[in-house]
Amino acid sequence: MTKATLDKLTELLGATNVLHEKEDLLTFSYDATPEIQHLPDVVVFPTTSEQVIDLVKFAREEGLPIVPRGSGTGLSGGSIAVNGGMVLCLTRLNKILEIDEENLTGTVQAGVITLDFFNAASAKGLFYPPDPGSQKISTLGGNIAEDAGGLRGLKYGVTRDYVMALSGVLGDGMPFTTGGKSVKDVAGYALKDLLVGSEGTLGIITEATFKLVPPPQAKRTLLAYFKDIRTAGEAVASIIAAKIIPSTLEIMDNATIKCVEDYANIGLPCEMAALLLIEVDGHPAVGAEEADGVKAVLHKVGAAEVHEAADADHAAQLAAARRTALSALARVSPTTLLEDATVPRSRLADTFDEIERLGEKFNLKVGTFGHAGDGNLHPTVLCDERNRDEMERAHAFYHELYEKVLAWGGTVSGEHGIGLAKRDYLEKQIGVGGVNIMRRIKHSFDPGGLLNPGKIFNDATEGSRD
Amino acid sequence: MTEKQCLGKFPLADEPNYEGMLQCMRCGFCLPSCPTYVLTGRERSSPRGRVALAKAVADEQLDFTAALKEEAYFCLDCRACSTACPSGVHAGQVMEACRNQAHEAFPLTGAVRKFREFILQRMLPSPGLLETSMLPARLYQKLGIQWLVRHSHILKLGPEWVDKAEGMIPALHPPLRPQLPDVVPAVGEQRGRVAFFLGCIMTLMYPEVSRQTVKVLTHQGFEVLTPKEQKCCGAPHLNEGDRSTTRSLAQHNLDLFMALDVNAIVTDCAGCGAALKDYEELLEESGDQERLTIFRSKIKDISEFLAEQGLRTEGLKPIEKTVTYHEPCHLCHAQGVSRQPRDLIKAIPGIDYRELNEASWCCGSAATFSLKYTDESQQILDRKLENVQATGAELLVTANPGCHLQLAWGLKQAGLPQEVVHITELLGMATPG
Ligand SMILES: Cc1cc2nc3c(=O)[nH]c(=O)nc-3n(C[C@H](O)[C@H](O)[C@H](O)COP(=O)(O)OP(=O)(O)OC[C@H]3O[C@@H](n4cnc5c(N)ncnc54)[C@H](O)[C@@H]3O)c2cc1C
Ligand code: SF4
Ligand code: SF4
Repeated sequence: MTKATLDKLTELLGATNVLHEKEDLLTFSYDATPEIQHLPDVVVFPTTSEQVIDLVKFAREEGLPIVPRGSGTGLSGGSIAVNGGMVLCLTRLNKILEIDEENLTGTVQAGVITLDFFNAASAKGLFYPPDPGSQKISTLGGNIAEDAGGLRGLKYGVTRDYVMALSGVLGDGMPFTTGGKSVKDVAGYALKDLLVGSEGTLGIITEATFKLVPPPQAKRTLLAYFKDIRTAGEAVASIIAAKIIPSTLEIMDNATIKCVEDYANIGLPCEMAALLLIEVDGHPAVGAEEADGVKAVLHKVGAAEVHEAADADHAAQLAAARRTALSALARVSPTTLLEDATVPRSRLADTFDEIERLGEKFNLKVGTFGHAGDGNLHPTVLCDERNRDEMERAHAFYHELYEKVLAWGGTVSGEHGIGLAKRDYLEKQIGVGGVNIMRRIKHSFDPGGLLNPGKIFNDATEGSRD
Repeated sequence: MTEKQCLGKFPLADEPNYEGMLQCMRCGFCLPSCPTYVLTGRERSSPRGRVALAKAVADEQLDFTAALKEEAYFCLDCRACSTACPSGVHAGQVMEACRNQAHEAFPLTGAVRKFREFILQRMLPSPGLLETSMLPARLYQKLGIQWLVRHSHILKLGPEWVDKAEGMIPALHPPLRPQLPDVVPAVGEQRGRVAFFLGCIMTLMYPEVSRQTVKVLTHQGFEVLTPKEQKCCGAPHLNEGDRSTTRSLAQHNLDLFMALDVNAIVTDCAGCGAALKDYEELLEESGDQERLTIFRSKIKDISEFLAEQGLRTEGLKPIEKTVTYHEPCHLCHAQGVSRQPRDLIKAIPGIDYRELNEASWCCGSAATFSLKYTDESQQILDRKLENVQATGAELLVTANPGCHLQLAWGLKQAGLPQEVVHITELLGMATPG
């Protein structure tokens, strides 16, 4: 990066919002994805939406790739500057602009932290349900770009279900606004839906309006323990089949339970093969009925023990502990290679069997947890990236697992996105034709191919070719 | 020490533990808990960033640069990240080790080095010298806790800094250590015998607090032994990155206290407690594991100890005051002692206890931080003061001299009415006699 270029950026943003020392570049060379790291050439922090427009213009002139970034908690390498260029970090564009109690909406800048938004809505007696495990640090922009799910996804849906309007800048420098506060909107193509989950490859989101809902009046939290994990998988399918939709239906296997308990110390059963964390909510009478219904199913399928959270604090503790699962697994191994396979829920028990079989086949230590109610599991290989042989076996493990998952009609990514980590599997899932359509879409949003190049599919400029 | 023995590009042996750095899976959970990250929004000033930098040095992707030194010293060592990290990473400790490295990478010269060596290697290890020479008096009158101030900045700091240091110094009393009898008998039915670890700052700057600690302990039924030969716990040295002096101090204190027949070794300084509990790791290579484990199990912060033993509340005088509590980082994050002080406060009759919002957020004192990075420290302090004000409490209780200094100074500057007291002062007020 030449001094002249840096000077221009500094003039645009002010010195504290332009970082270029090697130490800074190093600390923006990663996200939470293992094995991938690359230094950007410069890191910029816009503090207004207008600056983002200027920055895109500037990058176009300089031919610099732009890599949008929130808090860097992504799990598919989305915010890593694999081709160098400019990391455009949105964490300082972080104002909550409005909580609209008449329309039940909230409008924010993209760098607002998920949990801060949740709390701001709560303070006004409203509820923003999407709660990814990383909520205390992930940005809403990152959530939108990955269409993040969370612990409440089963009943309340994922980030997409709450996005009402987006504004930002496209790859060609054009500002856009799509959607609005109207509950219904069928004017033209659903561009907002294209942008949700686009992983920073179509546009930079600077502002978003979310739908808010009234919070549930009551909540019941159950914990069920199992002596084998297959039974836990069957329990999930049976609860759904009993036509009960809990708000939360999370699973942790024995390895995960042990690690989480080691950190959180809240009395989880370290000797059990698996546990389910189940939350039902709504009107107190309905909640009670559903809690009873869930308990009945659990006993029927043969849960070893069923407990209920003592109070709201205890329930919150349990959910918080579940959110630490991935990080806690890192206690036992230097590298945690995690995946995001999602299957139709009737296949959950089979998936657990498959994970177990493959773990044995490749001689790997695997910890599994996830949003079981969504059919979304995170089998995590506990490995050491310095051990090449082990890493190869870990990748072979996922390769075989994905073949099965796809054969069952599942997906290679439920919520973490394709990014760099899963590029090779995308074509397997959606075919060459599918990838080509996506390339064409990418090309029309970002004709120069400057926005987050190399993510989702190889070489973004191929979009013009058929 | 030849270069080849060192890990990656670290200039010195005694590097931060590599496995410990690898443990970071970069989830970012620690970011919102880190005061320096929240202040600057800069990844390299976050636990995740700091560990990444140290790891890059180990992996030979980065030289041990001035920027790394800067981050090592900017880190408050408040350990909030250790509490927040589900993976068991201790970024504060990694930075502590980097401070040691920094002295090799950027050796001090001339007067600054001599001054630092004098303070760290002569004055602090020798309580007699510290207390009898004229120097300490000059030090706190002129420079406050400058003896803790980190080397290279000592001479560069401007007048603003000196003003601040002066404003922070409490009224001086004669040091406590020479006055305390070797043995103070228990009052009433004896419940046990404890050794008292009297920290340097406590004896020099807060002798009246530690006097209350001894009073409370004896009234709670414990005979209190205070060996005069005890030396500094080593925390300032470790903070300064002088690991070798730290080790020799640790060895001395270990031998001294292990020779006593006591149930526990109690301290009223959270910083000392955290350092003493770390001896086990610090002296790991001495091969003295068994004694180290016993020593570790005996070290108790005063609140931890009293809560464990159960506070004898009969005869306590009521204190009709509203009270809130600031958690010292070195108590809650480094030692995991969080509930106990609150339980003790609430056990005193008459007290109207009000919880402090963000009670475990660093006050910005963090050893020498408050003097070195005056602006940043002020911003961290302001956040704390706002929360204190919102409680409307009359008394602000804490349990560490660094926090005590910083909070008292901050409240005074801001014209707020709260009085800062150490938890044993509060217990002392309630204790008859
Ligand atoms: C411990 C842990 C638990 C997690 N739990 C969950 C979970 O339960 N559910 C879930 O779905 N995910 C989860 N994640 C993954 C991750 O937190 C989410 O993907 C989150 O949405 C990423 O947000 P971020 O701000 O960190 O974005 P980053 O990681 O910085 O970026 C993610 C992607 O979004 C793009 N991007 C970021 N901001 C913008 C913007 N303003 N405009 C355009 N593109 C942008 C980036 O280019 C990148 O491709 C978890 C991660 C961790 C480490
Ligand atoms: S230090 Fe711990 S909490 Fe912070 S990023 Fe690393 S693993 Fe996550
Ligand atoms: S010890 Fe405190 S200042 Fe240092 S990295 Fe951890 S949280 Fe941040």
